[in-house]
Amino acid sequence: MATRLFDPRSLRWKAAALVALACCAVAAVIGVLVHRATAQSGERAGRELAAAQLAAAEKEFSLTGNRPAFADLRTVAGLPAPLAKSVAELRTPEAYALWYDVKAPNWHWLWAAAPVGDDQVIVVRTDMRAQVRGLQLLDRSMVKAALAALLVVVPAAALVAERMNRRLRHGSRTARRIADGDLDARIGRRGRTRDEITEMSAAVDAMAAALQARLAAEKRFTADVAHELRTPLMGLVTAAGLLPEEDEAAGLVRTQVLALRVLVEDLLEVSRLDAGAERARIDEVPLGELVAHAAGQAGGDTRVRLEAPAVVATDPRRVERIITNLVVNAHRHGAPPVEVTVTGARITVRDHGPGFPDDLLADGPQRFRTGAAERGRGHGLGLTIAVGHAAVLGAALTFTNAPDGGAVAVLDLPRPPGPTRPQGT
Amino acid sequence: MSVIRVPDPVGVLLVEDDAVIRRSVQLALERYGYEVDVTGDGLDGLEAFRAGAHDVLILDVMLPGLDGISLCRRVREESLTPILMMSARGDALDVVAGLEAGADDYVVKPVDIPVLVARIRSLLRRATFHRGPVPEPAPDERATGVPAASAGTARPPEPPTAPSSPDLLVFGGLTVDLRGLEVCLDGRPVLLTPTELRLLLAFAENPGAVLDRRRLLRDVWDYGWEGDTRVVDLCVVRLRKKIGADRIETVRGFGYKLVRG
Repeated sequence: MATRLFDPRSLRWKAAALVALACCAVAAVIGVLVHRATAQSGERAGRELAAAQLAAAEKEFSLTGNRPAFADLRTVAGLPAPLAKSVAELRTPEAYALWYDVKAPNWHWLWAAAPVGDDQVIVVRTDMRAQVRGLQLLDRSMVKAALAALLVVVPAAALVAERMNRRLRHGSRTARRIADGDLDARIGRRGRTRDEITEMSAAVDAMAAALQARLAAEKRFTADVAHELRTPLMGLVTAAGLLPEEDEAAGLVRTQVLALRVLVEDLLEVSRLDAGAERARIDEVPLGELVAHAAGQAGGDTRVRLEAPAVVATDPRRVERIITNLVVNAHRHGAPPVEVTVTGARITVRDHGPGFPDDLLADGPQRFRTGAAERGRGHGLGLTIAVGHAAVLGAALTFTNAPDGGAVAVLDLPRPPGPTRPQGT
Repeated sequence: MSVIRVPDPVGVLLVEDDAVIRRSVQLALERYGYEVDVTGDGLDGLEAFRAGAHDVLILDVMLPGLDGISLCRRVREESLTPILMMSARGDALDVVAGLEAGADDYVVKPVDIPVLVARIRSLLRRATFHRGPVPEPAPDERATGVPAASAGTARPPEPPTAPSSPDLLVFGGLTVDLRGLEVCLDGRPVLLTPTELRLLLAFAENPGAVLDRRRLLRDVWDYGWEGDTRVVDLCVVRLRKKIGADRIETVRGFGYKLVRG
């Protein structure tokens, strides 16, 4: 959680950053406008003051012939060059020239000059420093205010985004639970907000409900098919069993009935596994005994080697089915000797035939696809069923070929952490 | 496999709506020496059961008239006769419903006749064990089936609170008479089906010991690895209803144990 809180990719921080950016932009625009307006009005006031002073000085000079203390009397040549140029361009007697003298670091003077008599110019200077200083202070306080606003707005935005975040996280958790098989999980509605998240939650819930309904329908169908197939099959199996033992034709019927029965059972098993409705029934199982029993069930001459077999919590019926199918497959498509080894919680079934075909190694077992040469022997469902049961058990079933030839299937049963109990043999 | 012929022919009542299954199973079981009555309807099945004393009932789940689950429940209300459910669906609902209704065991169609016969024998073994006078206590009879390792640790040499005779086990308000095979709760006799009694005896012989479900499945139901442990779970549920829910404790991940005091 803590790592997520500071994850910069989190939506929370993205929303906060966006809000901060928007705040800064607004503050900058308003700041520039205010700065400009203030500067203009300050300058206007400065000009008016300068003009008034100049007029007063002119008036006093014309009355007394002396300049007032706040004014200067200079020749045109004695003026700073830009001001002299402006003065030279004056046409009417009432006109006056203005020049803003700015020198770094802190030199802001507004000059006003009007010619009086020949070659004489009366000059007043107004100090603009206070005004500039005021503008700087204004800028600074505007930046401070903007920062303070950010301090309030960004956490608030993060909090609001966090609420949405929490709803999204709840949504993704629920979706994951549904994917893991908890089809009753729903996101549901929290609070009264109606936004896109609510819409998405409703959509996910609708999807889960549709999925659940479809799975239920599929399960019901599978169960119905099972019933409809098994009922005549049972009659057939039992009736075939009543036929005379030594009759050859009866033997043929029995063989085919058995083949049909195996096919039906395997198909039903595949569809049950496909429906994802299977749940493991966990017991403490001594693997050595179980695997030896399963290998015996499969028929054929199978060597079973036990190397410290573990006692694991698993579904013994599924393990038995997996091992039986692997061993039957090894006898059918491989070559003897077929060896089954139990090492801890790992069960290895190996034969010494041509090995698994390449497409099986690449894509895993495909239903009804047997090696072309063996077409007609087995229907290619055994390994699919084994893989399905392994998935229900949470076990890993891997198919490889031994370097010196022969197919190797390895079943790794999950083991709970903690001390393992090796089983004495 | 030689056919064990019991002195009195064993009466089986088969209630199954599919005519071919009904007839072929009847013929096959008769070859094994059973006397088989058949009906194809749940209500007829109930009447047939009431009319004749059958030793075992085999009930299909889907039946016209009265479905197999309801029939099972009705029979259980008036009788302790062993019941074997036969389901074509084999999914959790059918199995659990049948066992909850009081069935002792279930098989999924198509079932081989030898397997069906083995199931019937296992039920009968429990039933005769239950009814007969049985002079010697049960453990010796079963010792051969139990591996030395588990039998050695679990067998208590003497009952925990045996007051006078070693044949009477007392667990709080629950008394189990090993000789007369009678179970009493607070002085009142408790009626147990043969399977329930067999299960209780398995616990009573190992008071306080945790019995895992596989072992119970093997000892009481004669199943190997192929058995479904739900059979044990649901029988424990039924047993708890009769002898008190807290008498048998669930040990998660392992199995069950009988509480001593």
